[in-house]
Amino acid sequence: MRGHGFLLANYVPGTSLIHRMPLWLKFLLVLACGMASFLIVDWRLAAAALGVLCGLFLLSGAGPVRLFRAVRPLLPILLVIGAFQWWQLGGPVAARIVLNILLCVVAASLLTATTPLHRLLDGVVSLARPFRRFGADPERFALTIAIMLRSIPFIAGAFSDVRDSARARGLERNPRALVLPVFITTVAYARHTGEALAARGLGEPED
Amino acid sequence: MTQTHSVGTLQPAKRRRWNATDLGLIAVFAALVAASALVAAIPVGGLGVPITLQTLAVMLTGLALGPGRAFAAVGLYTLLGLAGLPIFSGGRSGLGILAGPSAGYIIAFPLAAAAVGWLAAVVIRRTVKFRAVLLFVSAMATSIVLVHGLGIAGMMVNAKLDFSKAFLADLPFYPGDIIKNVLAVTVAIALHKAFPDLLVRRVRQLPQKAAALKAATPEATAPEASAQQ
Repeated sequence: MRGHGFLLANYVPGTSLIHRMPLWLKFLLVLACGMASFLIVDWRLAAAALGVLCGLFLLSGAGPVRLFRAVRPLLPILLVIGAFQWWQLGGPVAARIVLNILLCVVAASLLTATTPLHRLLDGVVSLARPFRRFGADPERFALTIAIMLRSIPFIAGAFSDVRDSARARGLERNPRALVLPVFITTVAYARHTGEALAARGLGEPED
Repeated sequence: MTQTHSVGTLQPAKRRRWNATDLGLIAVFAALVAASALVAAIPVGGLGVPITLQTLAVMLTGLALGPGRAFAAVGLYTLLGLAGLPIFSGGRSGLGILAGPSAGYIIAFPLAAAAVGWLAAVVIRRTVKFRAVLLFVSAMATSIVLVHGLGIAGMMVNAKLDFSKAFLADLPFYPGDIIKNVLAVTVAIALHKAFPDLLVRRVRQLPQKAAALKAATPEATAPEASAQQ
């Protein structure tokens, strides 16, 4: 978690068709899968769609290990849901529910596996553009995102520092001693950041 | 949406835009929510029940920053997590979250931060005594109505559970939530003592004193700031 290494977690470089697809098209694909999960009523159709998407995922060169890693956090809860709904609603419906969730998850991880993070963040910033007339400011939005990204390692470090010092005082089971200094540090850090921005003439509203 | 409107009526003439410090607070609190989802859970008390700090950070963002900035901070966190940054609990990310059973909780986070922020602003403006109790009541009301309500709705939609089953699946989160809200309120009160101007800038002052204060702090109103340039 130190540094910005965690920001590279999901992207797999490549030149496949999916890598070259524009971001909005990939986003539409994910959105279509999300819609499909409400529309598909036959579990065989859901299984076929899931198969197609897994094929696309493997074609993009990300590999079966990453595919498994994308769905692994959900597997236990999906097993529980599947077993429960099998008992309640029968096999086909349970299979449809689980397959539809998997379909959405694979589609979304296809998007993040084939798009570098800075492109994704540019996409997020461009979401603010249509709202410009209502007072949204894409540049300040992008600046806020950048500050957030560089603050994550600092705050994660503050958590571990505070935990160490609480342990040194024998307070490692006192929740107040474990979290309060982190939040004080956070607010102070945020204010210093704000002052540093203001001193450089950044981040102030333009009107 | 209703929250922002009622805030507008609560504090007239505060149609000012966020300055650099507000931007810093929004960005760093968004990072705080992200970091608290990434660090390991802490054991609480003698029970040794580990709690994750994420909902604590969401509630505290609301209690510390007030509705608008808290909504922006937690909304930024949610938006970036959905865009693919691995900052949801357990390092998950991406739009696929919205298909999973925990979708309702994720969607509820920004709304809960805004709601508890609005309630906290009312409590801190209007009351002096029993602030801790009132803040705790507002945090609990927010988590029951918004977090658990939308969490149950998410499980009903995505896992196709019916209401009673989803309600039972949601029940185990309550004890942890009560502990986290108590902790959030104690931390929030300490934060407002350490930084008295964090949430409320002017609390019901005498008119001339308020005017003097306004003249002393140039960033208090946007027109003055632009007049200086």
